Amino acid sequence: MHMHKFEKAWLIFGIGSLLVFLTVLGVSAFYLGNQPPSCLATIDPEKVDTTVPFNEPGLKKVEGKDWDYELVYVASAFSYSPAEVEVPYGAKVKIIATTKDVVHGFEVAGSNINMMLEPGYISEHVTTFDKTGEYLIVCNEYCGVGHHMMSSKIKVVE
Amino acid sequence: MAKTELSRKTKTEIEDSSSLKGTLASVFLLGFFLIITWVGVYLLFISRF
Repeated sequence: MHMHKFEKAWLIFGIGSLLVFLTVLGVSAFYLGNQPPSCLATIDPEKVDTTVPFNEPGLKKVEGKDWDYELVYVASAFSYSPAEVEVPYGAKVKIIATTKDVVHGFEVAGSNINMMLEPGYISEHVTTFDKTGEYLIVCNEYCGVGHHMMSSKIKVVE
Repeated sequence: MAKTELSRKTKTEIEDSSSLKGTLASVFLLGFFLIITWVGVYLLFISRF
């Protein structure tokens, strides 16, 4: 098959870029262990308040795990529990969240933490809080009349 | 008497359309644009917690 040399050039360039992108994705997923926030963990949405760990929302220190703290959130129309939390600077935290009623969002503004909370599913995100400051958590999935007032706060303190 | 057109030879200019220089330039412009924006978003992802 005759192919112009320019055609060869842009095909190699295109396929090469695709391979680079897919490699980055593969390393992220299979080596660094990144996964979707809601990954096969389920819960009975009727019994959230009595199910561990959602019976005690908030920050808890844990031992013997890859992270130092677990930060548990329960979302319901139209608030998050806890409404405010202080996280020590540099702490590696696993955020575990779910909802009691409808679909809610969980976005920590200005960070990579952005999850959808679906009834019946548990959403998780592991992160290291390496910048001090106050971070606003907002609901970014329309959940009803009080949607725009639904927020919480994370304070990263020294 | 009217002359028939049959015998008249006309030369039609054929433009050389085999040059792919412009195509190459536009393909690579688009390619670099995609790579720069992809890397930009990736760096933003890396720099935030």
